Amino acid sequence: MKQESKHRSQEQHQLSHSQRSTAREFASAEELLRHDAAQTQVPPVIAERLTQSIAKLPQQPRSWWQRWLKR
Amino acid sequence: MDSCVNEPATAATAAPNPLRSLPDGAEFAALYEEHSKAVYYLALRFLADPQKAEDVTHDVFLKVYRKLGEFRGESSLRTWLYRITINHCQNLKQSWSNRNIVTTADDTVWNTTAAPAESPLRALETKELGERIQKTLEALTEEYRLLLLLVADEELSYDEVAALTEQTADAVRGKLHRARKAFAVHFAKTA
Repeated sequence: MKQESKHRSQEQHQLSHSQRSTAREFASAEELLRHDAAQTQVPPVIAERLTQSIAKLPQQPRSWWQRWLKR
Repeated sequence: MDSCVNEPATAATAAPNPLRSLPDGAEFAALYEEHSKAVYYLALRFLADPQKAEDVTHDVFLKVYRKLGEFRGESSLRTWLYRITINHCQNLKQSWSNRNIVTTADDTVWNTTAAPAESPLRALETKELGERIQKTLEALTEEYRLLLLLVADEELSYDEVAALTEQTADAVRGKLHRARKAFAVHFAKTA
């Protein structure tokens, strides 16, 4: 456990050092990725394309996923 | 690809979701709004190609729309979505590999569009960070990249990450330790 803590500490130091230029501090790779994900926006064109694709699908029974979603 | 970088920051939040215009669209639109960012982000950072990430996100949700009735609820919906996304991404990568295609998108495509409330200075910082994160992830093995991206999602447990990557939770913990270390080393090199 001590060794693992030491490794994490070294990793955090490396991350902190390399991030000084961005003036941001992240405790771990996951925290950095979570920040990155939060900044990412899904292009609105995907929902538009999806709407068009779904509209072209053959009519499906209404109850199957309505029933699932409303459980 | 530029649309991903230069899209007006408010476009995503200002426009109503067109999925709501479909019959039964409200529920599906809500599902899309809750999970599309997770699917898109995983595809974006895993494939390193914004256009392909768009295609994957579209295809995943189209499949979900058609197959939701087959979802048995044995895993969380998020896990199910990730499983479809990972399979789709891996199939794409396999087809690129089979055709010996190397992605040649320029550096600007790694950028992340700034959130609406950010100042220009903050946006610049975000852009730089997005580029560095993408370069760092590309320097990792596919397994480490996927593990870090999945573990970064706080909605997933270690057991769920283990199931998605077809290994034990203990194996995930062990590899994650090495993945974090590799990430830190490569991230430092991008400075």
